[in-house]
Amino acid sequence: MGRMLDTSAIGGCKPDSAICTRGVTRDFTAGQQTITVLHGIDLDIRAGEMTFLVGESGSGKTTLISIMCGILWPTLGEVKVFGTDIYDLDDTALVEFRLNNIGFIFQQYNLIPSIDAASNAAVPLIAQGMDRHEARERAVEMMAKLNIRDQADKLPSQLSGGQQQRVAIARALVHEPRLVVCDEPTAALDAASGRRVMDLLREVAVAEDRACIIVTHDNRVFDLADRILMLEDGKIIHDGSEMPEDH
Amino acid sequence: MAFNLRNLSFSRQILPVIAIVALLLAAIFIVSGLPDRTLSEPERDPPRAPEELADAPRVAGSGVVEPSSELIQIGSALSGLITGLYVQPGDRVTQGQLLFTVDDRAARAGLREAEAAIGEARAAIAEAQTARSTALRQLDLYRGVDDPAAVSRSEVIRAEGEASAAGERLSLARARLEAAQARAASARTEIGRLSIRAPIAGEILAVNIRKGEYVSTMGGGGSQPFIEMGQTQPLFVRIDIDEEQAARLKLGAPATVSPRGASDRQVQARFVRAEPLVVPKRSLTNSAAERVDVRVLQVLYALPDANSEEERLFRVGQQVDAYIPAVKAR
Amino acid sequence: MIWIAIRMLTGDAQKFYGLVFGIAFSTLLITQQLTIFVNLIERGASGVYNVSSADVWVMDPVSRTTDVAYAMPSTALDKVRGVPGVEWAVPHLRAQASVRTKDGDLEGVAVIGVDDATLIGLPKAMVEGSPDVLSQPDSVIIDDVGTTRMFPDQSPIGERLELNDQRAVVRGIADAIPSFTSTVVLYTKYSRALNFVPGTRNRLSFVLVGAEDPAQAKALSERIERETGLKAQTRDEFARDGVQFIIENTGIPLNFGITVALGFIVGVAIVGLTFSLFIRDNIKQFGALKAIGVTNRKIRRMVIAQAGLVGITGYGLGVLGTIAFIWSFSANPTFKGFYIPWQIPLISLAAVALILALTGWLALRNVLKTEPAAVFR
Repeated sequence: MGRMLDTSAIGGCKPDSAICTRGVTRDFTAGQQTITVLHGIDLDIRAGEMTFLVGESGSGKTTLISIMCGILWPTLGEVKVFGTDIYDLDDTALVEFRLNNIGFIFQQYNLIPSIDAASNAAVPLIAQGMDRHEARERAVEMMAKLNIRDQADKLPSQLSGGQQQRVAIARALVHEPRLVVCDEPTAALDAASGRRVMDLLREVAVAEDRACIIVTHDNRVFDLADRILMLEDGKIIHDGSEMPEDH
Repeated sequence: MAFNLRNLSFSRQILPVIAIVALLLAAIFIVSGLPDRTLSEPERDPPRAPEELADAPRVAGSGVVEPSSELIQIGSALSGLITGLYVQPGDRVTQGQLLFTVDDRAARAGLREAEAAIGEARAAIAEAQTARSTALRQLDLYRGVDDPAAVSRSEVIRAEGEASAAGERLSLARARLEAAQARAASARTEIGRLSIRAPIAGEILAVNIRKGEYVSTMGGGGSQPFIEMGQTQPLFVRIDIDEEQAARLKLGAPATVSPRGASDRQVQARFVRAEPLVVPKRSLTNSAAERVDVRVLQVLYALPDANSEEERLFRVGQQVDAYIPAVKAR
Repeated sequence: MIWIAIRMLTGDAQKFYGLVFGIAFSTLLITQQLTIFVNLIERGASGVYNVSSADVWVMDPVSRTTDVAYAMPSTALDKVRGVPGVEWAVPHLRAQASVRTKDGDLEGVAVIGVDDATLIGLPKAMVEGSPDVLSQPDSVIIDDVGTTRMFPDQSPIGERLELNDQRAVVRGIADAIPSFTSTVVLYTKYSRALNFVPGTRNRLSFVLVGAEDPAQAKALSERIERETGLKAQTRDEFARDGVQFIIENTGIPLNFGITVALGFIVGVAIVGLTFSLFIRDNIKQFGALKAIGVTNRKIRRMVIAQAGLVGITGYGLGVLGTIAFIWSFSANPTFKGFYIPWQIPLISLAAVALILALTGWLALRNVLKTEPAAVFR
């Protein structure tokens, strides 16, 4: 069932929304020109759902997700993640906030090639200051949940793409973040592997108090979404549990 | 999993450990290899200023020990073989003591000859006296004869001539005696001159002749003096003071003197006099033919007497280092 | 995170060894060349350092070094002795002479005349014999480097030499630091040296002075200058004069300066290139870490740790190389007495730190400039 874009809520966030953006605008300056990539995005994302952010290349979805997870500053507007106005924080506090609250899954996995899979998965814990061996044990537990317990001692280069993606997922979840952001998780995988990864993600990432945003244009996995947001030219043109017919 | 052998990485663990061990080695090598440039005390004591002069104005000089009479080089007036040597180096002699004799046989022969001549002269005198008394008695006899015919005039004249001739002979004999006596005295003097005696009381310092050697008044090849002696009680030291420093010298103050090589044994020397003549520095550095552009004031100091031969510290000719107080005003 | 940084660094063995090699090579070049340089120019001061007991050297005002000296009249010794604060003063002669060896060869030697009574002016140690041999007639003591030059493969003890028509017999070997030109040195008593060296008017090259209070040597040297009109230098000053003389009169400082600069430049080039390559290779990982929530401060620390590991390892190996070099050449008479002044490893450490700081900063600038948002592109 489609819901209407709620524009009346500008200036106030719903108390139950995990992420709330109000009037988020982002300009990029390229030489003399200024290109506006996002035009006042107002959005509420709820916890416990798997939210897909879809759109053509250049539609602004990467910019939007970057702003929502606190790695790109909006030109205008505010972003609240679990009640915290993240762009009100100073630089260090924002980094700390990301470390403690957000799990990232990158399209290229960006695993560190010279440390084994479990250590890779343990990176956020280590960054939080946890003892390396304890962090690794926790990471191994997480990998067990993702059925790659036996790959723990291998280097990333010894793993297949799907396995690497699982390690990346383990890394995103190991510190139990309240927001998980995935960038094209299936882009580098074949259909079957992509499907399996998405199933797994749905299984482990979605939780009562956790929001999960997935940026993708892989239409093979749209059916797994709880909510699909469609971006075009910096505006949200669709918000519903299914893809619109014309896509 | 922390440290099993499989995890031991060459680049992460072994190499840095090697590097750190290398650094430790380096530290040891560097510290132990640093050159020893500490200052050390000299092994043998160099001459030092006496304590009371350590920080006071002072003048330093070097000098030579000499007898208080200065060095007397005994020579011989006559040349000849040495027939007797009666002293050794180190002997103390009194004034006039016989030192050595030179061959006097020629002189003695001359003496004996003169003595014979004296005897001869004396005999001649006696003979002349006898002849004269005979002549005089004969003359008296002739004169007592009143009878002119008894004695011819010519007889009388002859007797008168004989008496006068006898008187002349006597005078001649006396003169011969005197001449012989003078010759004997001269021979005795010569014999005396062939016995060389000490001109003053003192100590024999060097004897450069041996019995049987020929000594010449012209001086030998090395022109060494035959015997060197001097009064060594007390000894003096002659200190050379650079003329530039001379004005600062506190004349009359005692000097602290130590012999070369025994600089820890310093003695106080009493001021005697400063030589009135400033002389060119005689180098004590053994170099012959040294040209000089430095003049020195020579100051004499008397060394204290040694109590015994064993304690004797200074010897004539020895080089010494001396420290003398200087006047403060500059 | 440091652990991760180190793993990242050593994970790429090629670049890691490249970096270590770069640093080690720079360290080796800088340390070794500086060491040789310092030791070489300190040869200018060896004459001073070989005399271990003199606090102050007194000389003619125009004298410059132990080898460039104008003689003084012999009364200069007494003048110096008259200065308060001088505990002792002894004569010291240094002159050049030609010696005829048994084979008839002519060899230039330095004749050093030491005080007759105290033998002050001899080197501290002897290789063979004792300083007392100088009391025997015509004795000289040769220095050990001179031995290797004049008497290769044989013992010089008992050898006869002809100096200025005088007979000289070698009776001892002194353990001395050779001079800059490695001239053969013959030590003998002052009075005998006067005979060995052709005569000139004045012969006294130096007066060696022991101070009442060695700590006040500087003040004493000034007082000697004031009171005697001669030039007085403390031991350290005079050693410096010798070094200065070498620096001013040879091209050594320039040559070595160029090599040291080359070492530095090579270090910067190798390390800089490799380090920035390494950082560029890992820029995505760094970006990911930044996005995940690693602060710039931690990133900086990671890069510092990487630079530190490379630095320590490379520096240690470089210093090891230098030591191996000095150690392996220590038997060579040319390198006799060579040592590594403790300042030099510190200088090369500073150079290494500078190289790493420079290249690390350049590399880090790239990392810090990376927008975390780049990971989504």
